[in-house]
Amino acid sequence: MTTPQPHITRRPPSEVMRLERLGSLHQCRMSFMRTLLRRLAGDQWQFTRPHFDIDATGVGYAVYTAAGPERSYSLVAFAHDLPDEKRSDRVIADAWDATFTLFDGVPDSQDIARLKQNVPLQEAGRISEKELSLSRANRSVRLWDYVVSELASGQQPDTDVIDQVGYLMRTTAVYGSGKFGAADRETISNREELFPPFQVEMLSVFLTRKFVLDLVQHMAWAKGGETAVKLDRSIAQRLGIGNSTGLGMAPFVINHPVLFNNWIKAREEAIYRVRSVVSAVADDTEIFRDRLKRSTISVARWTSKHPVQMRKIDALKHDLVLLSARVDEYDFQTAYPWDNLMNWAAHQLSIEGQELLASLILEPYPDLVDPLVSCMADTTSTVARIDGSMTVGDVKTLLEKSFAWAFDLDWQAPQNCARAWYVSEEKLEPRLGERFEEPIAAYEQPLAPARDAAHAFHALKEWPETSKVAAFLQSHPEHRHTIRRAQLCEVAPYGEVQDNTISSDVLPIDMLRAKLSFFGATHFDPRSDRWIRICMFAGAPYPESLSESNSDDWIYPELAQ
Amino acid sequence: MTRSLSEVEATAKKAARGAGFSWGMAEEAAKATRWLCAKGIDGCAELSRLLSIGSHEINRAASLDAGVWQSASGPLCSISLGASMVDHAHDLNADGWQVKSVVCPALLVPFAADIAAKSGQSIAVLGPDFSAVVSGEGLSVNAPMPNSSASLKVQITHKTQLPNVSFTRADPAETAWSVMQNFAHRTYAPATEASRLKGAGAGTTDND
Repeated sequence: MTTPQPHITRRPPSEVMRLERLGSLHQCRMSFMRTLLRRLAGDQWQFTRPHFDIDATGVGYAVYTAAGPERSYSLVAFAHDLPDEKRSDRVIADAWDATFTLFDGVPDSQDIARLKQNVPLQEAGRISEKELSLSRANRSVRLWDYVVSELASGQQPDTDVIDQVGYLMRTTAVYGSGKFGAADRETISNREELFPPFQVEMLSVFLTRKFVLDLVQHMAWAKGGETAVKLDRSIAQRLGIGNSTGLGMAPFVINHPVLFNNWIKAREEAIYRVRSVVSAVADDTEIFRDRLKRSTISVARWTSKHPVQMRKIDALKHDLVLLSARVDEYDFQTAYPWDNLMNWAAHQLSIEGQELLASLILEPYPDLVDPLVSCMADTTSTVARIDGSMTVGDVKTLLEKSFAWAFDLDWQAPQNCARAWYVSEEKLEPRLGERFEEPIAAYEQPLAPARDAAHAFHALKEWPETSKVAAFLQSHPEHRHTIRRAQLCEVAPYGEVQDNTISSDVLPIDMLRAKLSFFGATHFDPRSDRWIRICMFAGAPYPESLSESNSDDWIYPELAQ
Repeated sequence: MTRSLSEVEATAKKAARGAGFSWGMAEEAAKATRWLCAKGIDGCAELSRLLSIGSHEINRAASLDAGVWQSASGPLCSISLGASMVDHAHDLNADGWQVKSVVCPALLVPFAADIAAKSGQSIAVLGPDFSAVVSGEGLSVNAPMPNSSASLKVQITHKTQLPNVSFTRADPAETAWSVMQNFAHRTYAPATEASRLKGAGAGTTDND
């Protein structure tokens, strides 16, 4: 019997790069948290705590060192006594419960003294090329005092209370890549362990989670003395590190088209490879069934009070009922089982469900999928050079690839350009304003590629098809950034968000979700249309118990025994 | 104080935009400034000098005619000229290009490096009393670059053995850095209480 050869293709950018879909992406085995822990476990990294010098009021510093085969990295953590009224997750805050830097190597006493003068100040301080990141975290008011009090009085905290929040501290910014004086990514990206994206930041958060556990225990001992008990290991493992992410991440997605392309393209390639698998063996389908069941538990624990997300979670729960029923009766012996399942999902499930399935089918295939992580970095350190010899006709064709849908939109109509992205004078916070209500248009950032492409396209139509774009650019420097982006599309077809990023109904949280899903975040909880909370490393082993057997599937909750 | 090269690039981009360059041209200015810093030349000093020259004293529209780059009036801006040169790299032949009057010619060198990388050949930027030769990553400069040059030649050269020095940090003059920051500041919208609350989407509690 011959197997019919299906025409399995990669999903086109026009399907994948819509905000609705990007805002429904889920973590997968290529996510940066999972990539990090697989490496730390596989290469048998060793973890130590050379300093923990924190007093009974919770003030002091600690150092956590991760030592790999070739290099070491140390989280230097400063704990502060922050009055409640000063606690804010906004970028405009100027004090935090804890502040951190990831040091390149093992810091000596002079390094610590220097960092103590600067790290607690965050943006107002300076770090050096010996440091790779700068971050801070605030306690969860709901959980911190509760957990300290329970432990101090000899009780374990209630897991229902723990699960309502999920973390003891949440980070409010993790800066890397040369920010505030830190080492540029280009100086460290040739190190194998830091080549995949955001490994510095993920390592920093992984070690921060350990520090937070140690700190809450320390405070419980300080408060309860001999009465205090140690936090139960299984409860500790449920706790992640929260993260509040604001608008700064949305410009990142648009400002790094090649990097973002590499993430999306790698995941799409992985999906394509698995859809092309002719037959699934029992071991593979078992892994898939297991992760599907555990995802269902995870989704059941996902709560949000944001109306859009509440609807999406409800739809996803319904999707999981349909998908589970489908999988129960599904004949994995048929040819191209994963492709068939994806095709079924495209008609039966919401986009949340489709994307969850797309991530889940990757789980049984580390050999097909994991090597693609090496394609996710952007190895170009600076803006691309424009090819001035390209013809006007060819540039127009490139613009059409991503933005043909935008050319006929009325870009003067208020609903199509209601918003403008700008940077505030105050703490340089990226913001999204109302173009027709606030005096911000003069400060607009170039974060509306669709509108700019439409304008450039109409200007290009006035030029002969065969003339070189170099001449056009001499007359139209205002379209230069758009022409550069168009040419990048040739190498980075998934680099453009194919939606209107300044329309009256744009949801910036869609862009935040897309980026955070690649970090490996779960339980996205939008707090408005422009900021979002997530939990990182919940369920993960702590450094001292990390092993190859637990380094990867921790992201899925355990099935009840 | 040393700065990371990404800080240099980010600040230079905002500064150039603040000084009135288009976003795309501001990206070129930022890339050129970073490139000079990575070669141990204070690109920030060069850019801050260029941006400080009044826009009426400098011409950002360069045109190429019979191998000569010139403006309708006034000296050429080296960032605009450099970017146009790279756009026209396919037109550069053995005769080279003449340039009439340009300010801050040091900022042309990173663009010459782009042409060199693109063409696979070494490119020389020759002034009356200085010369700079670039090939891919290599750079050789024989004298301090002047604030402006009344004439210049850009040409393909056969010199290929060039020192390849690269720095991972920039050490810009503080005065130059302040000038860049002042220009960058022009890109920031003054905060209002409404934008503070609305623009970043607060409203729900962030302290729980």
